[in-house]
Amino acid sequence: MREAKAIFAARTDTGLFSWLVRSDMARPTTLISGTLLLLIVASATFAPLIAPTDPYDLATVSVLDGRLAPGEEMIDGTVAWLGTDGAGRDVLSAIIFGLRTSLTVAVSSALIALTAGLVVGLTAAFYGGRIDAFLMRIVDIQLSFPAILVALVLLALLGKGVDKVIVALAIVQWALYARTVRAAAMVEKRKEYFEAAICLELSNARIIWKHLLPNSVSSLIVLATLQTAHSISIEATLSFLGVGVPITEPSLGSLISNGFDFILSGAYWITFFPGVMLLATVAAINVFGDQLRAMINPRLSK
Amino acid sequence: MLAFVLRRVMQSVVVLFIMSLMVFSMVNLVGDPVDMLVNPESLPEEVERVRRDFGLDQPVHVQYWKFLVGAMSGDLGNSFIFGRPALALMVERFPATLELATSALIISVTFGLPLGVYAGLRPDGWGTRIIMGGSVLGISIPTFWLGLMMIIVFSVLLGWLPVSGRGETARFLGIESSAFTLDGLRHLILPATNLALFKIAMVIRLARAGTVEVMALDFIRFARAKGLSSRRIVFAHLMPNILIPIVTVLGIEFGTLIAFATVTESIFAWPGLGKLVIDAIVNLDRPIVVAYLLFVVSLFLVLNLVVDIIYAVLDPRVRLQGEET
Repeated sequence: MREAKAIFAARTDTGLFSWLVRSDMARPTTLISGTLLLLIVASATFAPLIAPTDPYDLATVSVLDGRLAPGEEMIDGTVAWLGTDGAGRDVLSAIIFGLRTSLTVAVSSALIALTAGLVVGLTAAFYGGRIDAFLMRIVDIQLSFPAILVALVLLALLGKGVDKVIVALAIVQWALYARTVRAAAMVEKRKEYFEAAICLELSNARIIWKHLLPNSVSSLIVLATLQTAHSISIEATLSFLGVGVPITEPSLGSLISNGFDFILSGAYWITFFPGVMLLATVAAINVFGDQLRAMINPRLSK
Repeated sequence: MLAFVLRRVMQSVVVLFIMSLMVFSMVNLVGDPVDMLVNPESLPEEVERVRRDFGLDQPVHVQYWKFLVGAMSGDLGNSFIFGRPALALMVERFPATLELATSALIISVTFGLPLGVYAGLRPDGWGTRIIMGGSVLGISIPTFWLGLMMIIVFSVLLGWLPVSGRGETARFLGIESSAFTLDGLRHLILPATNLALFKIAMVIRLARAGTVEVMALDFIRFARAKGLSSRRIVFAHLMPNILIPIVTVLGIEFGTLIAFATVTESIFAWPGLGKLVIDAIVNLDRPIVVAYLLFVVSLFLVLNLVVDIIYAVLDPRVRLQGEET
């Protein structure tokens, strides 16, 4: 792993982008998962424009539309392609809006965790010694617990809410980023340019910011992609358990949880379609991430 | 060696202490459990009395000290809701969770190992493509949603299996389990399979990687040259070599199964630890939440400790590395 990262780090100098283009970006798996991912992100971003109805506008949602099967027409004439839930909300629209919440939570927690991980990882690698040992010990301890459990515990302690879920997921993930960045930075530290920078007596801040950071950050691209899928899944699970996102601002997980109550009465669509969307999103990111990893480092894809 | 073990044990004790401090202080920041305990219409005096009875009127550090003193003698406080010792409740619920996790482990090895070995033996076959595609799906698919789909298909549409609960249990060799009655087994199938799915995908990947690696080694080639049948090569020479890493990983992953059981138990209303703690979180039943967290933390510390010690015994480099970092 470390050796592989070294090779990766050594060739980032040639420019990541040009290298990506040169490699087989045009493989069908990459194209399909990439396109799917793009569509998902676009529909989440432009949710209000795409969704047929506004599921949270109480003026247009009518209980009389409750539990319509997929394809039935609502009172105002719009067709509910994926049916409606117990309160008469269009499931398709709810999914598009839910996707938005899910992605927002996953991406913002990834960004926070990434930043925290960078700071810790670079500090540990640059200063080494006791600081390194101490920080990495914390990382080891945290990583010995499963993410879902740590998140569950944190939310039990913090309470519900979108902001709290973001915080909990960021705390769950930072350690992984820190460890990866540290490994990459340790490799950079052994290179000549780093020694040169030390000899030139550049300030620590400048060395870390201008040299260590840009050269170590590329190791995080794949990790960040895969972690986003992972945190979407964790967030959905937490919301399903009722400790994540509140029902007033539903994510895909809370939509599935909402449909759980109707399963036994046969209204499967309320919980089925949000789940399909969740699966499609997570799978698209995972496959794309795997392809990305294979492109960046062919030796790892074995 | 002894020094290594002692140092790790000390470290674990420190982690456990810090965790208890964090958990206890943070759990006291969220909500007011008294609200959940009294009738909303009760008089302020009544509310005060309940607060005093549960010792919630005292400052957090006093409460923590009391908890710590109690914990030393195995008393983790009484559940607010059930009015019984938290530890006793957990001990009562634990067998159900253990049963679920063990069944899931057995299922994941039974299915994962043959599929993974097959994929490793025929890297370019069609079967392998399907298996590996399935394992990507297995890793991507959210467990809880799959559980719901299983309920829809097997319980609602087909009506084959019950949706919730543990069913009838029976005692065999001193162990009380659902696995010993037909009714219990019928209740066990869905939750155990649900919990196992993620692990099946993992076992497939491990078994495949191991097979590919071992089959390329000289002793396999030699066995072939000697004219041994493929069956014999796979079962007598390949299996023992790939099993060691798989068993190790599964040992570590057992803790994760217990943690993930929280989700499965909530879906299938399985009366185990996870269900207990989710209900406790919702009801602000602090003693249960704290006791559960400390239990899980201890479980993981012990699992990691055992694994680290085994590694250190097997590989002296680990011991030396331990001194560096």
